[in-house]
Amino acid sequence: MPILEVEHLCKTFERTEVLKDISFSLEQGQVVSIIGSSGSGKTTLLRCLNFLERPDSGVIRVNGEVLLDAGNPSPEQEAQIRRKRLHFGLVFQSFNLFPQYTALENVMLAKELLAKEQPDYKARKNEIHEEIRVLAEELLRQMGLENRMGNYPHQLSGGQCQRVAIARALALKPDILCFDEPTSALDPELTGEVLRVIKELADQQTTMIIVTHEMAFARDVAHHVIFMDDGYILEQGTPEQVFGNTKEERTRQFLSRFNQGQ
Amino acid sequence: MKKWIAVMLAGMMTVGALTGCGSSQTVVTENPAETEEEAGTDEEAQAEDAAAVEEVAAEESDMAYVQGKGTLVVGITDFAPMDYKDENGEWIGFDADMAKAFAESLGVEAEFVEINWDNKVLELDGKTIDCVWNGMTLTEEVLSAMECSSAYCNNAQVVIVPADVADQYQDTDSLSDLTFAVEAGSAGEEQVAALGLNYTPVTAQSDALMEVAAGTSDAAVIDSLMAAAMVGEGTGYEDLTYTIGLNSEEYGVGFRKGSDLAAALNEFFAASYADGSMQTVAETYSVQAALIEQ
Amino acid sequence: MEVIMEQMPIVIRSLNIGFLQTLKLFFVTLAGALPLGLVIAFGSMSRFRPVSWLTRIVVWIVRGTPLMIQLLIIYYFPGLVLGNPIWGSGESGRFVAASVAFVFNYACYFSEIYRGGIQSVPVGQEEAGLVLGMTRSQIFFKVTLLQMIKRIVPPMSNEIITLVKDTSLARIIALQEIIWAGQAFLKGSQGISGEIWPLFFTALYYLVFSGVLTVLLGKLEQKLNYFR
Repeated sequence: MPILEVEHLCKTFERTEVLKDISFSLEQGQVVSIIGSSGSGKTTLLRCLNFLERPDSGVIRVNGEVLLDAGNPSPEQEAQIRRKRLHFGLVFQSFNLFPQYTALENVMLAKELLAKEQPDYKARKNEIHEEIRVLAEELLRQMGLENRMGNYPHQLSGGQCQRVAIARALALKPDILCFDEPTSALDPELTGEVLRVIKELADQQTTMIIVTHEMAFARDVAHHVIFMDDGYILEQGTPEQVFGNTKEERTRQFLSRFNQGQ
Repeated sequence: MKKWIAVMLAGMMTVGALTGCGSSQTVVTENPAETEEEAGTDEEAQAEDAAAVEEVAAEESDMAYVQGKGTLVVGITDFAPMDYKDENGEWIGFDADMAKAFAESLGVEAEFVEINWDNKVLELDGKTIDCVWNGMTLTEEVLSAMECSSAYCNNAQVVIVPADVADQYQDTDSLSDLTFAVEAGSAGEEQVAALGLNYTPVTAQSDALMEVAAGTSDAAVIDSLMAAAMVGEGTGYEDLTYTIGLNSEEYGVGFRKGSDLAAALNEFFAASYADGSMQTVAETYSVQAALIEQ
Repeated sequence: MEVIMEQMPIVIRSLNIGFLQTLKLFFVTLAGALPLGLVIAFGSMSRFRPVSWLTRIVVWIVRGTPLMIQLLIIYYFPGLVLGNPIWGSGESGRFVAASVAFVFNYACYFSEIYRGGIQSVPVGQEEAGLVLGMTRSQIFFKVTLLQMIKRIVPPMSNEIITLVKDTSLARIIALQEIIWAGQAFLKGSQGISGEIWPLFFTALYYLVFSGVLTVLLGKLEQKLNYFR
């Protein structure tokens, strides 16, 4: 059974249709790359998966459980949505780290707030805090930031910030980790360190959805590639199929523009 | 004057209520009437009609109201020798002592409250004080806005000028070149306006003096009782002096319009004058010369 | 000069009593208006239209009319129109009425500063919190609030310094704050009359107090400089 199934997702802003009948699925431990020009709906798709936008219609299932059936009009409680969100993690293009917290605190904060909801929180307070700290330090070490844990975001480079953001998302152990153009806000010389970290996560069988403009990276890291154009999924398949054996003319044009650029 | 203010306030509050002005609404609703006497008038008062409120106030005896709460709240300013504090912080003075005696005759206690003189009518009508007893000149405005006692003290409005030029200003004609400072709404303002003199209204008689001392005005017009206490040798304004009196006028005590306390005070004054106790108090504060026969 | 030295102890004692009243009004206003302003700010940002609409009208009325008029209305209206002088005539009643007027007036000013501060925090901060499974109140208190405070310290400092001096308006309803105390010696009080210097002397109190506040608020601003 796929870990994620998206069926017939549609989303309209004002009068603009941004997502048109989006369907795809994702297997546990696999990586899907979503490519396409700006405004094609990639970011909106990620935002729908993370419940930052509500689709107009369509179904989202995780591990077979229906997380969202947009056709079902029953209003959802904030608390329920909050639970559902935790299936997903999201790494933003602009990091969105909390500036008033250190790298370590950024990674620990959400986990600590969630821990307060545990029934045994009061009794095991110090113990739980310690566990979370150990986990956060481990994640930051994994991101190559063992010397930066006490630094505030403004003291870090863009690449370091983005790696903190990845550690922050991983701390909640999401089923699926989403990246929204994680290197687009970075200087070219800093993209490498972030892509390397994501590649490592892929090697560890982390289930991920990556929206990116780094074509070589998308091809290299993904098991499955989706090309979006004007709100549709125009073409999808293995990297070999999409990059090597392109069927659609639009995809070919898009890819050739990128190849020229490089 | 009184009616005008009440109507304006009522109008503003209505606008406030219509548009959901939270400040006044909260104030009104969160503080339910606590005084027993007031409970019956609440509903009518809600109509927010200034005229209706006046009638309601008049229907109820003001004396009964004051006796019911057990205190006569006397609105004053710090004004020697009429109302001022002794070393112990106790209010004394000719007016203060008479007010205490009058309150005693009513079987209530006198409570002295310093007010902003500009708001004396508001304070009365808003029932935050019960009378104004503070060397108040009985002007047209005062008589129309308050229920006043009979006059009990003589006073005059006198011209204040720097001492070194005082000889030049010993008659009314000589005043026409001067710029005056007078307290807004005071008897002094009425006088300079009547004479067609050039003047600036200021907020207090003391400010008028300050204007002359600072040279921003050439002259001021203030109460003679006050002038005697505040200018000349041994005071804060040694370089100033007072010259001619512009009129003679009288002090009285003001109550809420329609109050029965004014008549009660007149009786009390008559009795105190007859038995000589009023004269004794006047002598204590050296105002016996100005006292009016009751 | 000699006279002034003689008068000094009496005047200082009076001014101190007045200044205590000034300080009381200042701190009560801050303590009430800081939280109330936040409530009003949320009201004006409410997604429920009638609430935001109503709040904005209230803010408009309160900011659009002089504080002096609000003091007069709040103190005299209950007795004048409802026939029930709820505040009483004494100094304490006048103080309560003045506090109500000041808290409400300043809360409205603060609310607009808060609103600007909250809206200037990037929306990405809230989204990051949501994606991490935080509740809206957790996001506000753990993420947005401190960033908002950092942004509003300079404009708030301005308002707070203004408040120090605005307290003198309360003498319109005969609250005996420091200017009232200073003016008393002009008319005559405690055997001193026609003296202008005590009034001018009050400026020194304001100056020292606002100086202390400026330093403290500057310290706060510095303290929040640890992040950007």
